[in-house]
Amino acid sequence: MIELIQVSKSFNAGRANQFTAVSEVSLAIAPGQVTVLKGPSGSGKTTLLTLIGCMARPTSGRIVLKGFRTASLPGLEEAGEVEITSLPERFLTGIRRTTFGFIFQQINLVRGITVLENVMLPAYPTGEEHKTVRKRALELLELFNVDRHASARVDRLSGGEIQRVAIARALINNPSVIIADEPTAHLDTVLSRDFMEIVGSFKVEGKTILIASHDPLVYDSALADAVVEMRDGRITRGGIVP
Amino acid sequence: MNIFIERHRNIIDFALSSLLRRKGKNLSLLVLYTLIVFMIGSVMFFIQAMKREAALILQEAPDMVVQRLVAGRHDLIPVSYGGKIGAIRGVSGARPRLWGYYYDPVVGANYTLMASDGEPHAPGSVTIGSGVAAIRRLAEGDFVTLRDYNGAPVLLQVERIMPYASDLVAADLIVMAESDLRALFNFPIGSATDLAITVRNPREIPTIAAKIARQFPDTRPILKSEILRTYDSIFDWRGGMVVVILSAAILSFIIFAWDKATGLSAEERKEIGILKSIGWETGDVLLLKFWEGTVISLSAFLVGVILAYGHLFFFSASLFEHALKGWAILYPRFRLTPAVDSYQLAVLFFLTVVPYAVATVIPSWRAATADPDAAMRS
Amino acid sequence: MILHPAILALLVVSLLTSFMVLYAGWYGVRILLRWDIRSGSELQLSLERRTYLISTILSYVLAFQLLSLFLFIYTADHLHSLFAGAMCAAGTLNVNGFGYPLLITKVVNFLLASLWLIVNHADTRGYDYPLIKVKYALLTAMAPLVLLEVVLQFGYFTGLHADVITSCCGSLFSLERPGIAADLTSFPSGLMKVVFYTGMALTAATGLSFWRTGRGGYLFSVLSCLAFAISAASLISFICLYFYELPTHHCPFCILQKEYGYVGYALYTTLLGGGVTGLATGALMPFRNRASMVKIIPSLQRRLALATVLLYALFTAVVSYQMLTSSLKLGV
Repeated sequence: MIELIQVSKSFNAGRANQFTAVSEVSLAIAPGQVTVLKGPSGSGKTTLLTLIGCMARPTSGRIVLKGFRTASLPGLEEAGEVEITSLPERFLTGIRRTTFGFIFQQINLVRGITVLENVMLPAYPTGEEHKTVRKRALELLELFNVDRHASARVDRLSGGEIQRVAIARALINNPSVIIADEPTAHLDTVLSRDFMEIVGSFKVEGKTILIASHDPLVYDSALADAVVEMRDGRITRGGIVP
Repeated sequence: MNIFIERHRNIIDFALSSLLRRKGKNLSLLVLYTLIVFMIGSVMFFIQAMKREAALILQEAPDMVVQRLVAGRHDLIPVSYGGKIGAIRGVSGARPRLWGYYYDPVVGANYTLMASDGEPHAPGSVTIGSGVAAIRRLAEGDFVTLRDYNGAPVLLQVERIMPYASDLVAADLIVMAESDLRALFNFPIGSATDLAITVRNPREIPTIAAKIARQFPDTRPILKSEILRTYDSIFDWRGGMVVVILSAAILSFIIFAWDKATGLSAEERKEIGILKSIGWETGDVLLLKFWEGTVISLSAFLVGVILAYGHLFFFSASLFEHALKGWAILYPRFRLTPAVDSYQLAVLFFLTVVPYAVATVIPSWRAATADPDAAMRS
Repeated sequence: MILHPAILALLVVSLLTSFMVLYAGWYGVRILLRWDIRSGSELQLSLERRTYLISTILSYVLAFQLLSLFLFIYTADHLHSLFAGAMCAAGTLNVNGFGYPLLITKVVNFLLASLWLIVNHADTRGYDYPLIKVKYALLTAMAPLVLLEVVLQFGYFTGLHADVITSCCGSLFSLERPGIAADLTSFPSGLMKVVFYTGMALTAATGLSFWRTGRGGYLFSVLSCLAFAISAASLISFICLYFYELPTHHCPFCILQKEYGYVGYALYTTLLGGGVTGLATGALMPFRNRASMVKIIPSLQRRLALATVLLYALFTAVVSYQMLTSSLKLGV
């Protein structure tokens, strides 16, 4: 369970181009469910995702994670609840690595290295044994039917294959939450449906899924348990208030 | 512990692949870096080798040399002084030396003429150094003409040419019989150029020098240790001057390195953004940059040192030798012996790798502190 | 000034180090004034990013300080032949009034930089940057000392003039210069031996006790610092004599040379290392009860204490071995 309490995020505070991406959002993300953030571009969906996913710190407000592994945080394991608002980057990243898997709108695979390396990359700083990580990466690639491209450069893959490599990468550290930002933006209908099927399999495994999308295929899907509408950085409809 | 090692291994792995992905930029950096290490290394190794040579040669030199001064200038010294000095307690030998400089207008070179000490030389014949032989194109058995103090020609036969190995001391040397030398220079009997003094106990040398100076106020004793010190200083000074001159080059290199480190291409920035967004922390990216810099530094250092070594000992530092050896017509050609120790390497490290590391700290940090959420938006 | 490349290197490095520390210190002050972990403002975020830079800078500074400390001594030793009467580094340092103060400042700066890094290590493990103010206060205290070192270093090196032959005087002036032999004062050796071994034993005892029980940290730290000072004095007083096998050679720098198997490096690294870890144990004591540090500092301190005990033990072992096997026998 992820709780956001009166969270705001502004940029360029005090200057002429100050703008508030997220404004006083209170939201609870239920575990094991698919939550979809719906709204036009500029509504603050992406920023909200970065805040939830421990990628950025809110300018004000609080974010609390409940029921997550806090083994990586000596000194914080009380009541299974972690407030991440003021955590130093080191800790934030530690949580992010083990808890969240990201699928970006721009995919963001590193050009010039192989597919396999791309998938293993998030695990490099954890100091886990190379062999183990490699095995896991290959298994994930196999799961998504792209293992035959393991030693290929990223440039040679088709759009759908790249998408699946990105998903494999997001799973390398066994996260319990998957965050996807406009995952179907560059996919056709068939591939989009494939993607939603994969989301379904995540749900079966008990993962929490958070998707930002303005694609009806996503927010009208049967899999979506909660749809939260956003506009101008605020929630206009839906969403459980903690 | 394992985690620690694995983390570093993984990051080094990525650092290497990262360097290879931008071959052009990193290669130019590496080449310049190596060049800097090479230049400074050459200078330093050369100086070190020269100092060692000087020390080795001076080992044979007498503990003390006594010269006589007239009106502040070096003049001939009476051999009788030698007898009296020899009587001072602690002095084990006081030998008069006969030598002088001869200017040869034919080639414009100065030779050192010396009366042989020890075994008397056959009159009318000379032993010459290989430098003299080369410049006057002489072989053993040839005749050479020198002019005496009156301008009259003196014919001498070359008995022997000194081996190449003795070049550092003997390149410009001509050894002849004492009588020939006296005749050539019009040295009166009973005087010598200077006196070579050997002392039994090295600790006594300063005391004996003081005694000599008191007893013969018109002389100046010169200690071997002082000569060594002076040579050391000269070489150090020369080396230091060249390094100071090269500092302009070092500075340019540093600015270049800084520029390369700051001017990340869009591709590189994107990569770092991706790394941070998939779970690399600022510390991890800093480590990445550190390893990239270290790989380049170590490679440049290693290759630069090897090249400097080669330059020096196979080519006798031909690029620098004029600045460092001093000006003369007759250069002794000699092979320098290797004298590279960890101290030299440490100093070289400080002059090259440290400035590079300092120059790249801030750019690396700026790159590493990119916001991860920026990657989401690109 | 003697334009030796090593001197240039030392000056360059100390200039660079001082720039880095001043830069870090400047930002340290800003951090001291504006830090607020609870705030999510951009200022706070940029300050947090800046802390990475400062710790990176100080890690480099520490590495350079250590290397330049040894390089400095080695250079002083190397240059001794340029000064009449100087037998080794001790003589070179004596050439002008800056030499020994410079050496002491360098050692102090090295210790402080190491201390800073250890405190930083503890601080980064805490989830709320508990030691941030302590750290940056320490940094602002270090900055003037680093500046002092640069000034002393320049003063020392520019005041070095080799005793070389000048055109008129030759050797005479070197006779007039009073001897700068390694004339170090030293304490009576018998007493020092007792004090030395007692100091080491007490430190080891309190250290092990602290390691087991976690109590007596302050006492241990103070003792380890005392042991550091005593060992330094002992090096001069009697330890070096056994290495040189000469009852009059007190110079603590000659053991760094090749002919003694570079044993000086082993001795100095263990001593300095042990001194730093012992000092850090004590320095962390006041913070062991902070919420985020409760799990971190005690175990860190234990490891530091153990490190001190082991390093000092190594030091004592090398020294004792030499004392037992040396051909010199000093009457107690």
